[in-house]
Amino acid sequence: MPKEERYDFVIVGGGPNGVGTAAYLAKCGASVCVLEERPEAGGAVENTEPIPGVRITPHAMYMYAGPAPAFEQLELHKYGFRMDWSPQSKNLADQQLRGVATTYGLAPITDKDALGWAKISGMLTSPPFIKELLRSIFWCPPHPSEVEITAENIPYMQVYKKHQPDVWTEELLDMTMFDLMDEYLETEPIKVMHAMVAWYSGAAGHWEGVAIPALGCDITLTIYGGISVPRGGMHGYFHSIIRCAIAHGVVVRTCCPVDEIIIQDGRAVGVRLRETATTDEKRIWANKAVISDVDVKQTFTKLVGTQHLSSSFRRKVEDISLKGGSIWVSHLLTREKLRCRPKFRNPISGDDAGLGPYPCDSREIYYEHVADVDGRRGKPTMPPERLMWLSTPGDRFDAADSQCTIPGRYLASPYYTYVPPPEYTVGGPDALDKVKEEINAYLRKAFSQTIENLNDDTLVHHWANTPYESEFRNTGLIGGTWCGTRHCDDQWGENRPIPELSRYRTPIEGLYLCNQTACHPGGLALMAIPYNLMHILIEDGLAEPGKWWYPSPWYIPQQDKVSAVPRHGGDK
Amino acid sequence: MKKRELVGQPHPQCFFSEFPAESDWDAVVIGAGPNGLITAAYLARAGLKVAIVERRYEIGGGLATEEILYPGFYSNMHAIYHLMVDFMPAIKDFDMERHGLVWIKPNLQTAMVFEDGGSLLLTRMIEDTMDSFHKYSDKDAVAFGKLMRNWRRIVSEILAPATYIPAMAPIDLTVAMQRTEIGREMLELVEQSPLEIVNKNFENDRIRAFLLYISCMWGLDPRETGIGFYVPLLIDRGMNKCYLHGGSHKLAGALSREIVRAGGTILESSDVIKINRHNGSVTGVELMEGRTLNSDVVISSLDPHTTFFDLMDKKKLPTDLKESVERWKYDKWSFNTLHVVSKEAPHYACGDPWVDESFMTIFGFESTKQLLAHWDNVVAGKLDKNSLGGHATCESFLDSHLVRKPGNHISFFQIHAPYNLEGGWDKRGPEIKEAMLAKWEKAAPNMKRENIVMSTQETPKDIEIRFPNMRRGSIKHGDYTPIQMGCFRPNEACSNHNTPIKGLYLCGASTYPGGLVLGGPGYLAANRVAEDLGVKKWWKPTKEMEHYIKTYLT
Repeated sequence: MPKEERYDFVIVGGGPNGVGTAAYLAKCGASVCVLEERPEAGGAVENTEPIPGVRITPHAMYMYAGPAPAFEQLELHKYGFRMDWSPQSKNLADQQLRGVATTYGLAPITDKDALGWAKISGMLTSPPFIKELLRSIFWCPPHPSEVEITAENIPYMQVYKKHQPDVWTEELLDMTMFDLMDEYLETEPIKVMHAMVAWYSGAAGHWEGVAIPALGCDITLTIYGGISVPRGGMHGYFHSIIRCAIAHGVVVRTCCPVDEIIIQDGRAVGVRLRETATTDEKRIWANKAVISDVDVKQTFTKLVGTQHLSSSFRRKVEDISLKGGSIWVSHLLTREKLRCRPKFRNPISGDDAGLGPYPCDSREIYYEHVADVDGRRGKPTMPPERLMWLSTPGDRFDAADSQCTIPGRYLASPYYTYVPPPEYTVGGPDALDKVKEEINAYLRKAFSQTIENLNDDTLVHHWANTPYESEFRNTGLIGGTWCGTRHCDDQWGENRPIPELSRYRTPIEGLYLCNQTACHPGGLALMAIPYNLMHILIEDGLAEPGKWWYPSPWYIPQQDKVSAVPRHGGDK
Repeated sequence: MKKRELVGQPHPQCFFSEFPAESDWDAVVIGAGPNGLITAAYLARAGLKVAIVERRYEIGGGLATEEILYPGFYSNMHAIYHLMVDFMPAIKDFDMERHGLVWIKPNLQTAMVFEDGGSLLLTRMIEDTMDSFHKYSDKDAVAFGKLMRNWRRIVSEILAPATYIPAMAPIDLTVAMQRTEIGREMLELVEQSPLEIVNKNFENDRIRAFLLYISCMWGLDPRETGIGFYVPLLIDRGMNKCYLHGGSHKLAGALSREIVRAGGTILESSDVIKINRHNGSVTGVELMEGRTLNSDVVISSLDPHTTFFDLMDKKKLPTDLKESVERWKYDKWSFNTLHVVSKEAPHYACGDPWVDESFMTIFGFESTKQLLAHWDNVVAGKLDKNSLGGHATCESFLDSHLVRKPGNHISFFQIHAPYNLEGGWDKRGPEIKEAMLAKWEKAAPNMKRENIVMSTQETPKDIEIRFPNMRRGSIKHGDYTPIQMGCFRPNEACSNHNTPIKGLYLCGASTYPGGLVLGGPGYLAANRVAEDLGVKKWWKPTKEMEHYIKTYLT
């Protein structure tokens, strides 16, 4: 008979948040087991090679996590973390030189655009406060419920007040990102471009009250010029996290789906694995806590028995909105290197790689696209010439880390466009799957607005995962997208995903949350949730980090709890 | 390929540190396939500071369980049949059960089906196999029972444990074997070809074809003498194939965790472009991205050409070594594999419903003549689409984790195929794929077009693209012929895992005892390095190995 398996912490789900949390806890000396249902851990931070020599990234592509304390606290460089620095990433002015893609070609970016953007991004002061700004947006746990949220204690408001007081105004809390840009930027196309990047990164440019979170999503990406990625893709970054976890003793079990979080006397004490799980022992016990990196809806509706929850709480969880939109991800393998039409080529370098968002003519196009997605009709109704989409400059990444090694073949990947989430699509969740090839053909027409040689002769393969397929591949991607739940004001910060859950605790004692759908600040593989959650686990006496730990400077301890601020003050 | 010069020049707004441009190690292992991982894991736990570098974005080499039927379906697109689970020291030494590894050994191991609905079964239990042989020949059934009882002893006492003991010179081995009866029986087999062994012991042609396929499918020439000992080994191991629940990659994952727990470092997406040398001794490796790993010990799991010619200056190699690498012969044939997602698991048109549960199902061959003609064709660079055959496995029958969209099945059908196909794979690939689908449907009528949801074909050229050191699609990194086996693998100077170059060691499938996830080269290389460096071994030979040494070698 197998021995009883027992750990301090059992983490359900081996995505970046689950494994990152495991690494933090193991570094505190705790014993931790991570259970992942798929054959490979990593969640949406993944690679696959569907045909030999072609590596695609089905979901996470970009490195948003740069300012994360985890790089220092977990020492990820020791575990092989590397970047592929693109030569262009050193040229900060590259974007400005190239301009923004519109239907009439590249729209210039003016000095006022560039200076205005730099100012609100914290790059005009000396030294710049961009890192502090980003950390205040993402890397700080929401305040306790007894604290009234005001313009004085919202972390990013404190940062603006301190470093760029002329930007600070209480109105920042009500604005949309468009409002903010209208004040500091000059030309329409660049505003549309940033609004779209923000929308695709989780917090839309037109949502009220999330101007700064939307800005933050955008600048965490563009501080690297948007064109450098981790070596081996985002899964390479994940490797450094999981290796750190393992080096500190974390046990990772793949192909071990969890069917139930076991609750005894109102307390989470362990999990029950599915019968098919590839381990002999089907019950795994947790001395201190069970932490769920499963999406918030399934955590409560499937893993925790309904008898353990009040009906009003259950209802609130069921009502969490997934309506942010889902990303249809395309990967194009071609016989020729895809070329931009002449009007989109960089006038300085001649570079014609990915353009980013297109078309950025005006916010009318953006709003048409929003209406199409939020209208939940299913198939896009806009003519392909006006469809908004986003290309990544895949072939501009390090040639020594190529995603396509087949001679005479070229990969353009990934290209993104938004469609309604499966759960909200009129016609049912699989409505778009039934017309997948039709949508792919429509998308290629849209892509051809800027690409001159994408046609039946050059196309070898067009892979796509529909949002509904994404949900099957990756059960954590509810809504078929990486953000899962909207990063709108009603589901951000102290409201994410609902106020009762905002500090990662749950109505069940010993059950905590670490999934992007359940926790501030959401997705993007930021290593923010593990860091933020640490504050809470310290408060509850479950984690005791060493001298390597430092809390967020804007963190407010909960009354009657252990403060996450170390008595020695930390190293930083 | 040119080294990049971007290391140490991060973006000006970079907030984090990266793995250093230059680092020092006690040992660097090139290639994170099963053998590289095993070597690194043993040495890391022995206290050495070990780095293992892998060209691909993921470790495992042939231990790959990946979503090639994208989106939603995983396949073990390379190694799936684990033949040596019962004997591999690494499984015991690292207590793989602790990592949650569960190997499934189905009783029905291999079936062969014929057009008239007849079938033959090879099962874990000798009696069940005999039952199926009785349908065709009582004499063969009885012969199989007798023979296997003997052969099992030869395998478990000699051939299997010897896999993990350093290569011996043929003359020493002969002297040792002649001392016992089963040793002498083994020596007799060596001198016969697989075809002779099968023909001598069995009379029914279907039974002969069945056993010949099982003996030679991994790349033995049916007519070659000097390798006959492989027949008992591969039939016995063919009755003991295991499937690793959750996929072959779980073994790679478990080994990688052993390395990391012991303080080792794993670097993926790290293509070695040069093995550095100074005054004839190795000093480390250089990566294409521009980083350098310094070490006096470099252990390569790559094929001989890559290790000696691509990564080192060929002109500075000892002449004997250079010539032996030039003479190296890659596998005589490779595989062409059709992977499919279907609405139903294959249901074979066959009188015996048990066949559908078989781990491996052979079809397409009605006689030894047809089988030999297929192999002769393949060796000549041809494929006759009207008379091809091979083996299939329904992976989802064994493992629900591979299917992300419930209600579907994944299977593959694999045939022996030439690397250099007459007419070229680019041109003839689609026609071969159609022929394979048609052949499969003939054997299993529910594998019809309307039931196929998705399919992808991987040719020998594709194998080489995914795993460049499986040159010419050579899954074993080099052919199994008498002059490339035992102490001649890859040559007399290197078969004991050290090389004429100081500090350079070999641990891959091209080194004794060979490929097929034996875990032999990796284990033996770790032993050799530990002995040379005077590092205390924390492991001991398995009891099977001790018994072999005690009974046959001393």
